[in-house]
Amino acid sequence: MDQKDILFKQIFDTNSKKIFHLCYGYTGDTDAANDLLQETFLKVWQNLDKFRNKSLISTWIYRIAVNTCLTYLRSEKRQAKDELTDNIIENRVEELSEKNEQVALLYKSISKLEENDRLIITMVLDELPYNEIADISGISEGNLRVKIHRIKQKLTELYNQHARI
Amino acid sequence: MQEFEHIQSLWQSHSVEVKISSEEMLAQAKKEVNSIRIKSLFNIAGMVVSFIAFSSLLAFFDFNSWTTPLGIGIIILAVAIYTLILYKDHRLISRNDFTVHPGDFLQELKAYQLRHFNLHNRLYWFYAVAISLGFILYFYEMLNNLDTWIQVLIILFTVFWMIFCATILRKAYMKREKERIDLLIERFKRISEQLQEH
Repeated sequence: MDQKDILFKQIFDTNSKKIFHLCYGYTGDTDAANDLLQETFLKVWQNLDKFRNKSLISTWIYRIAVNTCLTYLRSEKRQAKDELTDNIIENRVEELSEKNEQVALLYKSISKLEENDRLIITMVLDELPYNEIADISGISEGNLRVKIHRIKQKLTELYNQHARI
Repeated sequence: MQEFEHIQSLWQSHSVEVKISSEEMLAQAKKEVNSIRIKSLFNIAGMVVSFIAFSSLLAFFDFNSWTTPLGIGIIILAVAIYTLILYKDHRLISRNDFTVHPGDFLQELKAYQLRHFNLHNRLYWFYAVAISLGFILYFYEMLNNLDTWIQVLIILFTVFWMIFCATILRKAYMKREKERIDLLIERFKRISEQLQEH
């Protein structure tokens, strides 16, 4: 196995869970998240030699994942995501325990956010440093703080609304 | 933000399971990039086998009529030229790694598509005419001692096979190849653009 393969395996093992979580938070669907994860790491492998250590490798991968998720949603062939997420979550709710039900409600609430807000909040939930989120999303850190505050409020509101129903 | 902290702890407590291993992912990534090269290599290997088969006919058998070695010679020449063109096309896509020179690779993939299209259009007809001429000369002696109905059957089958290859098979192959390479170009373009944005 050559150096590139070993490096790729290390990168995949270190980052795949977080990226999958990001994709899952974005789509609310395991299969779609899995597809997005694979597409992301395919791009990572194909462009690994271009990575020049200007940023953290995790930041670089997040950026690829975020773009992959956005392209996925904008693809005209896709089904409307909210509808899909609702269906999946509603079908599953009955089988879930109380804790899992709360998680399902959380994903449902995330799915109601704007697509960019969805991605930003999943990175916040994963506790990525603000400067990294700013780098990935291309928003200045000052603006990002304001935006994150607003998204947090919105998400909490949505979560509470769904929890009451 | 007491409630957001609850949301955050929920998110972090939810463990996700990645369905694919790094080995599978690596294998898939390599397969995507290499499949077109491997297919092109198989094409070349097939042509080389034909070249060896026809050459061994010339090397190991004696023929009474001058038409037979001439026919086989024409077939060998056509196969050799076609193989060389295929090899040149193959070098176009194999000398650059997408991960190292994405721009060059994309250009060469486009050039490969164009050359491949020419090869199966204009050049294909030269190839088909040469092969047909070769077979006519070859059959002149080889079919001489057979019954008439077998001669007719072999000639009909050869004509039918040549027409089938030149029409239905060639068109289907070209359509599939075009779609496949278009998809690859589109995908590589998208990845390149995305990385330039970074």
